Amino acid sequence: MRARDIGLASCHTCGLLQQLPPSGHAHCPRCHSPVHLRTPNSTQLTWALVITAIIAYLPANLYPVMTVTSLGRSQSDTILSGVIYLLLHGDWPLALIVFVASVLVPLLKIVALLYLLLSVQRRSPLRKAQRSRLYRVVELVGRWSMVDIFVVALLAALVQAGALATIEPGVGAIAFTSVVILTMFAALSFDPRLIWDNEEAHGDIT
Amino acid sequence: MTSPEQHDSLDQLPEAVVDEGRKGLPIVWLLPIVALLVGGWLIYKTYSEKGPEIVISFKTAEGIEEGKTQVKLKDVKVGHVETVSFSPDLSEVLLTVSMVRDARPYLTDKTRFWVVRPRVGAGQVSGLGTLFSGAYIAMEPDNTGKQVNRFTGLERPPVITGGRKGTSYRLKASSVGSLAVGSPVYFRQIAVGEVTEYRLSDDHEYVELGIFIESPHDQYVRDATRFWNASGLDVSLNASGVTLEMESIVSLISGGIAFETPGERATMPRAEKDHMFTLFASRAQSREQPITDTTTFALAFSGTVRGLEVGAPVEFRGIRVGTVKAIELGPGAPGTGSLAPIVLVDFEPQRLQAYGTLKNSPQVLEDRKEMFSDPVARLHRQVKEEGLRARLQTGNLVTGKLFVDIDFYPDAPPPVLADNLGYPQIPTLPSSLQGLLEGIQQILDKLEKADLQQTLSNLNQLMVSTSNLMVVLEKDAPQLSDELHGTLLDTRKMLSEAAATLKTVNNAASPRGEIGNQLQDTLKEITAAARAIRVMTEYLERHPDALLKGKGIK
Repeated sequence: MRARDIGLASCHTCGLLQQLPPSGHAHCPRCHSPVHLRTPNSTQLTWALVITAIIAYLPANLYPVMTVTSLGRSQSDTILSGVIYLLLHGDWPLALIVFVASVLVPLLKIVALLYLLLSVQRRSPLRKAQRSRLYRVVELVGRWSMVDIFVVALLAALVQAGALATIEPGVGAIAFTSVVILTMFAALSFDPRLIWDNEEAHGDIT
Repeated sequence: MTSPEQHDSLDQLPEAVVDEGRKGLPIVWLLPIVALLVGGWLIYKTYSEKGPEIVISFKTAEGIEEGKTQVKLKDVKVGHVETVSFSPDLSEVLLTVSMVRDARPYLTDKTRFWVVRPRVGAGQVSGLGTLFSGAYIAMEPDNTGKQVNRFTGLERPPVITGGRKGTSYRLKASSVGSLAVGSPVYFRQIAVGEVTEYRLSDDHEYVELGIFIESPHDQYVRDATRFWNASGLDVSLNASGVTLEMESIVSLISGGIAFETPGERATMPRAEKDHMFTLFASRAQSREQPITDTTTFALAFSGTVRGLEVGAPVEFRGIRVGTVKAIELGPGAPGTGSLAPIVLVDFEPQRLQAYGTLKNSPQVLEDRKEMFSDPVARLHRQVKEEGLRARLQTGNLVTGKLFVDIDFYPDAPPPVLADNLGYPQIPTLPSSLQGLLEGIQQILDKLEKADLQQTLSNLNQLMVSTSNLMVVLEKDAPQLSDELHGTLLDTRKMLSEAAATLKTVNNAASPRGEIGNQLQDTLKEITAAARAIRVMTEYLERHPDALLKGKGIK
């Protein structure tokens, strides 16, 4: 049995347990914060953010993240070309870290969110516990993709030695930041309770 | 309202206040739309900035890296090398270059590309910046040609690039010497231009050099400007000593060209672009007037002309007026034998610069006119009236080189001229050396003719009387010798006495002598007096009042 089944919800701000109208749109009689049974438009919001993230994912990987100008020779690197550069120079552990953190993780996050969204919308009854755990991982791992951005931001701010060496962030860096932030917000806006909501289609388990 | 803890039944829970449900699409859908717009703009920007791709061929791709080497115009990036490949016959490398869009109008067949690498030459160092940054391809745009996308890169950077204003000229030289592309051109020892190219003329007769004179110095290039090769040192030895001329250390090593416009010609119009000049071998040569107007005269010499060469100068009182043109054998003048050396000389009135700078009086002008219009008539008059003659003179005592000297000899005998030499003639005189020899010969001849016998008998008599005198002297010799001995003894005695006197004087004057002692005493007293005066002045300095009051009692 869920709180939703009996139309009850507690206020997100002051914790007051109250009865909600069937429409679902209401606010707390005590602190006037909005009260919902489920995050409103959770799937739509998540969808919008995920789609934006997918769009931003392309320039993030195609455009250079960083332009290094050293002694008049300037070199622009995308994330992947950086990984390849590291690999060619035998720095495979570093290449692996960059690849996982900057390419694989955002991609997997997007795929995971898509899978969660689709499964929720199709009211799939399968592997609910695993899906919940997937959600938790997605939410947890999200911020770690920002490592790249921190590196670029730090370098761009520190390495400004004129003709000797200058590092400038590229368009790719902005796109990549957008991807990370958008996926983080998408994960936040996704209401994991929805995973369990389709129980009713198959009868309540009390 | 009561707190929720006090309710035991779900029904007693407070009711949430119902809100009006919002309809329509949530505002969040703006996000993907914005993302799409931004992405679309990015793609558009990338493709719109993508300019034309061109292919540049070079002999070598030294220092060029795929994807990195940039194409720069005035040090601003206008493209980069995408790929490097070979031409089918492997003779060249082909660089595929992606240019920026704005460069399209300038990609014409007149546009030039070259690789900028560090270059260190004798005269200049360039492209040092590329030591660290690596080579780049420089571009010199020209939008006047027709558009192409295949270029042949220059192997060496062009000397003149778009931004430099100036004028190019051409020089004709017999050989290129130590000049090279980039050799400086000097005007009053200031570098004002460069040699841009050199090549053999089509008939391989001379070398054609291209030079570029930077603005505003190109205005000093006139039609009459003389260019000369200023490479190396120009050492000349003359009456005023050794003169050493050199444009600069750079020209000493890498050669150079200098030019100047003779003073009186500086008002001539400016030379046009690509005007062809002659490059003289030296400054001295460049100063000589170009000879176009000559009249040939014949000189028949009676003596030898050994030491005279074709090209030797013809001088009038040291001023060059012509050149020896040919030396041949021809019919001699009457009385000098059937054959005589005939010297043909070119009289070159243009050499008489003096007529150009001196104040032109009507008489000078008239004379000058005649000199150019009818030199032969003028010469005949001068030969007849003023005694104009030619003679050989030694120009150089070491090498024995001769030159033809022309001067007026009013006392010269009337000319004896050879017949019909085909040229107007100037009568000759024997050369000065020849004249000297002839004089000696004359003296010898006279000696030969004189009465030697008489002279010799006179001499004999003189000898006899001398002998007699000697005999008399021999007789009186012992007496003379004794007297001399006595005189010598007296002299020696006198000298020893003088020595004794000097010794006495010396003793008296020595420090231990009488005078010396007295002097020492005197000096001591003077020293004491000086000390007393010093003490007094010091005291007075401290106590000026002592002058009035006297020294106080201690």
